[in-house]
Amino acid sequence: MADQSTYNAATSISSASATRRTLLKGFAAAGAAVSMGSKLAWADGEIGYWAKDLPNEKLVDMYSTILRIRWFERTLADKQLSDRSFRNLIHLYAGQEAVATGVCAALNNKGPFEQLDVIFGTHRPTGHALAKGVDMKKLAAEYNFKATGLNRGYAGEMHLSDKSVGYIGADGIVGPAAVLAAGSAFAFRARGNKQVAVAFGGDGTFATPAFHSSLNNAALLKLPFIYVVENNLYHQFAHYSYSTPMKDIATAANTYRIPGIVVDGQDVMEVYNKTKDAVERARAGEGPTLIEAKTYRYYGHWGAPGAKVGEMGSFGYDPQAITSWRPEREMRAWLARDPVDICRNTLVSWGVIDQAKAAAIEAAMKEEVKEAFEWEAKQPLCKPEDALKHVFVDGTVAARQFG
Amino acid sequence: MASKSSMYAMYEAVQHEMRQRKDMTWLFELTPAVASNPGMSVINLEKEFGRTRVNNTGIDEMWMAGATLGAGLVGTTAVTFIPYQGSQVPFELIQNHAGKLRYMTGGDAAMPVVFIVEISGQAAGFGGQHSDYECDSYFAHIPGVKVVIPSRPYDVKGMMASAIQDPNPVVYLFPQALRQLSEEVPDEQFTVPLDKAAVRTTGSDLTIVSSGAGMMGVLEATAQLQKVGMKVEAIDLRSLKPMDTETLVKSVQKTKRLLTFDQSYYTLSPGAEVIARVAENVDGARYKRIAFPDAPPPASPEMFNWMRPNASHIVAAATRIMG
Repeated sequence: MADQSTYNAATSISSASATRRTLLKGFAAAGAAVSMGSKLAWADGEIGYWAKDLPNEKLVDMYSTILRIRWFERTLADKQLSDRSFRNLIHLYAGQEAVATGVCAALNNKGPFEQLDVIFGTHRPTGHALAKGVDMKKLAAEYNFKATGLNRGYAGEMHLSDKSVGYIGADGIVGPAAVLAAGSAFAFRARGNKQVAVAFGGDGTFATPAFHSSLNNAALLKLPFIYVVENNLYHQFAHYSYSTPMKDIATAANTYRIPGIVVDGQDVMEVYNKTKDAVERARAGEGPTLIEAKTYRYYGHWGAPGAKVGEMGSFGYDPQAITSWRPEREMRAWLARDPVDICRNTLVSWGVIDQAKAAAIEAAMKEEVKEAFEWEAKQPLCKPEDALKHVFVDGTVAARQFG
Repeated sequence: MASKSSMYAMYEAVQHEMRQRKDMTWLFELTPAVASNPGMSVINLEKEFGRTRVNNTGIDEMWMAGATLGAGLVGTTAVTFIPYQGSQVPFELIQNHAGKLRYMTGGDAAMPVVFIVEISGQAAGFGGQHSDYECDSYFAHIPGVKVVIPSRPYDVKGMMASAIQDPNPVVYLFPQALRQLSEEVPDEQFTVPLDKAAVRTTGSDLTIVSSGAGMMGVLEATAQLQKVGMKVEAIDLRSLKPMDTETLVKSVQKTKRLLTFDQSYYTLSPGAEVIARVAENVDGARYKRIAFPDAPPPASPEMFNWMRPNASHIVAAATRIMG
């Protein structure tokens, strides 16, 4: 396996490479090199395009995941516009699929909880959840607050959690997930095993105190922590230039003397490559990495304002756009570089699938989504009295609303 | 069994649990993870368990609380000692994350964590910020964390053991004033329940309720009152959430007089909650509240000593409530 051979190469390094690495360390210290990447990728001519080593089955799975997320989100958008029986508030992930898919493809998502890599998500959870391996039916039911949903109707969209695949959870609060994830990484290091913790955060998290706290402590303690900033240019309704003094959030990594990587978030292979670097670093005990994925969301901050049933994307007037108005041309420019298209074109040009197979996969994913929502529609609502459960591990709390 | 200070008793409990669990973690800031006691071996958590498990952080309470919670979420028992003045910086992590994650995930999130929150009883000369005893009420209002507050070294150890062993997140309030107390504490590990108040003296005339550092004044006042023939039932809450309503109600059913004593501010102090619970369940009782006024503690000793309620205030109020 390429991973193992590269790791072995790194451990038997020649003096020439050592000098080169020292030189690169010097660049990093001077702040001149933003994208230092993993030492492992820069030794012995390794180019770091790890996607080349993925088996066809895995590549097809990545394509399917992107489509799964895409059609789940498009269905949610349509329901938001046309189906009163579907009650959820939704923060749609369409447009960012390659980021969640590429990152999770580089992680360990199967096995006992004590051996999984874990991810901490955001208030925009669908992509991370599905890419990590959460059951789509249970996800749909949870979004509609059903008793048989992923978290029994207690979570809704923003507090999803599925430990069986290492998805610690979505988080309705912007920022703190990063500190929690770094804390999990702290626990992994205390255990002495190779688990890795990933925190996803938007461009808005740069301004939060948790950004500094998580990276500072992860760097000081060399924790197996990866911070993936999904920079979709807007936090809620404001352009990120209102809160970030530089164009590339990744340059913040210089403060902590850790690698800061900018990656094209719409190209799942590139996301995979850079995440793999970071995961290898983490497992080798070399510390955290900050990855900034440049990406875009096709819908507003939440809901689907200005969208039409059956068409993708929010256009036109957005009553929520208090500060920044997303220009239609900006949106259309990003739509022209769609993650689904990029992935499909890559796989076709690599000869992994042909156009007919690609279309068949898309049809199958649409069908899977359709079935998930049909299943969801048949699920029962929650029993009101169950609201007194699960505050603590045991027992229920007292009802106080009756006087 | 030996006479031990509160700090030594606490670290004994922690050390025992850290020996049982090979990956349990302890995060601290200014308070070194060291305790000594005359005639006993020094406890040094950092030396014994190493820096991958025991870590001294920067002045970053968000990290201390967040990392502890993040470690708990992946199955590691984790404890942090947040020094006084520091507990409100990560309040959101405890209130909106630890307090709600189990519930929001429909029972999935596991958080075997303890947030030790040191609260400084107000002291003359330090001024307003260097005293944050008021945090008792802030944490008690959170639905999903247990909030406990020992008042003596024996309970410090027993409740620490229980808190670490409890699968729920626990806010363990540690009043700084307890550092000056010593008493006989067993060497072996033992537990004290986290949901039961302790009746320190029994009597049928008057119930006095307090918690934490307040108990010192209560016990001093009780001794004085008993000398003049008053039969006082002094109750140590020990737990603010869940609060032991049953013990409180049973006592006031008997005495029909309730005096609460708090070192924190008057509005929404733990005593207010005590009286509300008792009033719901007992007819015809009389109530009095003693608390620090709704003002930050002043630096001047003349002002501070006048404001700060102590045993003499309890004695005077008890006499009035009897009349």
